[in-house]
Amino acid sequence: MIDLVGGVPLYVLEFGDELVYFTPYTITLFLLALTFTILVLISRPEKQVDIAFGGDAYRTKEISVSEMRFRRFMAIACGLATMGAMVTGDIFNFTLFTAMVGITNVGIVAAVKSPHVQDAAYQYGLVSLSATIPLFGGAAVYAATTGSLSMIELMKGTVPAVPLIAKGMLMLGVIGEGMAPFYAAKAEMFRAPGAPYVIMCSLSSLLIFLRVVEIVMLG
Amino acid sequence: MAGDPAHAQVLVQDNLDLKTASPVLFVGVVLIAIGIWTAAFYVLVSGGSLLVILGIYMLHKIVEHGFGLSSGSPYGKYGGVRSVISAASEIPLFVSIAVIAVYTRSLDLSAIMQYQQVHGPLLIIAFPAACAMFLVILSKMPFGPFSIVEAKELVSGYKTEHFGIWRAGLEICNGLKTYVLLAVFLGVFIGQLSLPWLLLGMILMIVLLAFACALTPMMSPFDSVTLQMLVTGLMIIYAAAVLLVVHP
Repeated sequence: MIDLVGGVPLYVLEFGDELVYFTPYTITLFLLALTFTILVLISRPEKQVDIAFGGDAYRTKEISVSEMRFRRFMAIACGLATMGAMVTGDIFNFTLFTAMVGITNVGIVAAVKSPHVQDAAYQYGLVSLSATIPLFGGAAVYAATTGSLSMIELMKGTVPAVPLIAKGMLMLGVIGEGMAPFYAAKAEMFRAPGAPYVIMCSLSSLLIFLRVVEIVMLG
Repeated sequence: MAGDPAHAQVLVQDNLDLKTASPVLFVGVVLIAIGIWTAAFYVLVSGGSLLVILGIYMLHKIVEHGFGLSSGSPYGKYGGVRSVISAASEIPLFVSIAVIAVYTRSLDLSAIMQYQQVHGPLLIIAFPAACAMFLVILSKMPFGPFSIVEAKELVSGYKTEHFGIWRAGLEICNGLKTYVLLAVFLGVFIGQLSLPWLLLGMILMIVLLAFACALTPMMSPFDSVTLQMLVTGLMIIYAAAVLLVVHP
């Protein structure tokens, strides 16, 4: 087993069975999620410019305030879920936050009133929905084989070794939930309005992927 | 007049006078770019966790995406979208970390360097992992075969609309990023080096990367991702083999 994957825990906050811990690794990821959530909160969105293919013409699109307002709400919710996933020390909580990231990512893309963009959101929704099975199944196998969902306990090595299948299921679940950037990219190809909301799709997916790399290296 | 504070204010104002941009993000992402690579530099010099540095490397994708999307320009946006699609190039990097972790049983840079003092350079022990890491560094070089994020058909890709002081900030970030990645490569695969040897090693790496960029054509986005995925597949097989041999 590899000790102290993300560095020495600097602070552990316990809420009964639940705990939150900060290592240099989780702090780095948490701060990035916080910074981008603040940016989403205070930034005005970009205004879209489209190129007319086959010519030199450009045109701008009008996007309704209500659509942008909903996407901002979803992006902030996504940022909060991502921050939770970055610092939680409990595997089940991590899976819950990851599932919430998946739901909010669908919301960010699906709010765009364009059939092509909504097709992309629908397909991502199906992938995200399917991914919850290995995601929560992986957490269940963790609990069944080790008797604990605490990452600190896994880090100490005091519990039985985690089977490879549990790690694989957890990873598969996160990959499914974190597929958003590929669908967001697909939606953007059809000119979904982007910054700063679509960035939250990419950021949250990347961050949960980075966190699960740390988690599967524990125990 | 140059050097005059009023003149500097006008310059900043001109650089922010973009009709379609998201202004806070347009500027903020430059500061974030410099911030994350300064953090990576700190982790490097303090011998911290390799996972943190490579996590920052992956977050650079988000920075590129942010650069591209913040301006509202179609060229920037397509550069940003390509940055997300080319995330496939990051997976070989994590496999190479897994191989390093299997050998050294640690992800601390200082511990990895100590391991090499006893067992010899990982460049020899884990040569395929070094190749994978080299490929990842190559994918971040300008005008390289995998530089699809700033291809000519997109003007300058994700950096098209960032000019003046914001482009200067971006280039500072890129310089810092190149230094950190080269130093990490040398530290992880060769070991502890004194400053003159480190600089010599970095110059040799740069020459090698420059020739690789100069002698290979820039691939199309789908060819680039396909090739990187093939390397990923090979690296996963290699990592599994190493795991079975080193820790059966």
